[in-house]
Amino acid sequence: MGVNSPTALEHVLITTKVEKVINWARASSVWPMTFGLACCAIEMMAAGASRFDFDRFGAGIFRATPRQSDLMIVAGTVTYKMAPVIKKLYDQMPEPKWVIAMGSCATAGGPFDSYHTIQGVDKVIPVDVFIPGCPPRPESLIYGFLKLQDKIMTSSIADRYKEIFEEVG
Amino acid sequence: MTDPIDPQAPEAPEAPAGPYVYDYMAAPNRQVVLPKTVPLPSLRTYQAEVAAAAAADEAKWQKQLADFEVAKAKAEAEGKDAPKPPVRAVPRKDDNDLKTPWPTEAQDADLLKLQELLGGQVEEVFEQAGERVCQVKKEAILEALKVCRDEPSLKYEMLADQSATHYPAAKDFAFSIVYHLTSVSRSRRLRLRILVPEGFVPESACPLYPSANWMEREIYDMLGIRFANHPDMTRILCPEDWEGYPLRKEYPTVGLGQRDIDFRDDRGGVLNRLAMEKAGQMGINLKQPKAD
Repeated sequence: MGVNSPTALEHVLITTKVEKVINWARASSVWPMTFGLACCAIEMMAAGASRFDFDRFGAGIFRATPRQSDLMIVAGTVTYKMAPVIKKLYDQMPEPKWVIAMGSCATAGGPFDSYHTIQGVDKVIPVDVFIPGCPPRPESLIYGFLKLQDKIMTSSIADRYKEIFEEVG
Repeated sequence: MTDPIDPQAPEAPEAPAGPYVYDYMAAPNRQVVLPKTVPLPSLRTYQAEVAAAAAADEAKWQKQLADFEVAKAKAEAEGKDAPKPPVRAVPRKDDNDLKTPWPTEAQDADLLKLQELLGGQVEEVFEQAGERVCQVKKEAILEALKVCRDEPSLKYEMLADQSATHYPAAKDFAFSIVYHLTSVSRSRRLRLRILVPEGFVPESACPLYPSANWMEREIYDMLGIRFANHPDMTRILCPEDWEGYPLRKEYPTVGLGQRDIDFRDDRGGVLNRLAMEKAGQMGINLKQPKAD
């Protein structure tokens, strides 16, 4: 195709990278998992309900199974007893998958500097976006989700497995 | 710790570069400091405290009087004016002062009836803030519960709550176990209490009150008191493999390291498996340590 001479076809065709299209598709339909641990889950539900309408960003379909989910919103306190369950749920999610740590408990243990509380869910699973607040308002969750969309849009498929590639050499 | 002023002290090694890792073992809240416990509510202890305070007050007054006599004799010998006689301090009375309701002698018919029926098994009965407390011998708790439930004039049908407290500073016991009984038909409440030392196995209340099942499991989980004849004496809140009993006062706030888990070291075994495969292709055996 003649690149140098503009034709009528160029007004119809859009040239782009496959990776970008894939990222656009992924960022526009992130399906979170129906999964709440504490009071932050109430805010998460509010974000999904009609007033804040999480569905505007393609994230309104809360799936009831990890097999159909892309995003795990860890909304609440992660106890020692719950940590293996979270790890198992995360492992059951198909790639690509992302994690949002919502609230100060999931971020760093929150007020529970105690024997039974994991001091941040990042000790259990890798986290993409941390949202502070106790609990964060739905606007905070939406802002964190928009940040996650930015991250998905700017990520490359090779970067996601960079750690493994570097480790193996 | 090395003294920074001392020139002889060796220089402290530099902290290793890398991500900041919080050292839980050296954390200040890791150090176990036994907290001050609220004293066990007890009429006998309260009466002893009141008697001791009165004796101390009397001794202070006697000392003031003796000092005055000495000063008076000294002033007379030196020909000076006599000193002012001392005035005994009267404790200030303030009716609006919010005080802890002190335990008082038992007046209630239920407590007197219990005392009459149980006889020597009762260690102490008192009332405090309108609540009835009966402390019985630790071997006789099942008998006391049976009397409370079956006696027609008592009829405490429900075991509303059962809890225990750790008293590390107490000499002749370690835990107090409290049974909160409720009589639905008579709209009354009663508190039974036993004091048990470390290692003692009290009788389970399950044969009399089925509601004691989970509450006794919780006491075992949190404080490590085992109950005899319990149908299922296992942990109820903590995981089965938990170490220690969290509500004991000597238990550190941050636990014994259970929360310092890290599942991210190995991403589901992927890194390990890939490394093994790669090393196998290169002819390196990672499974065996290299001989020197």
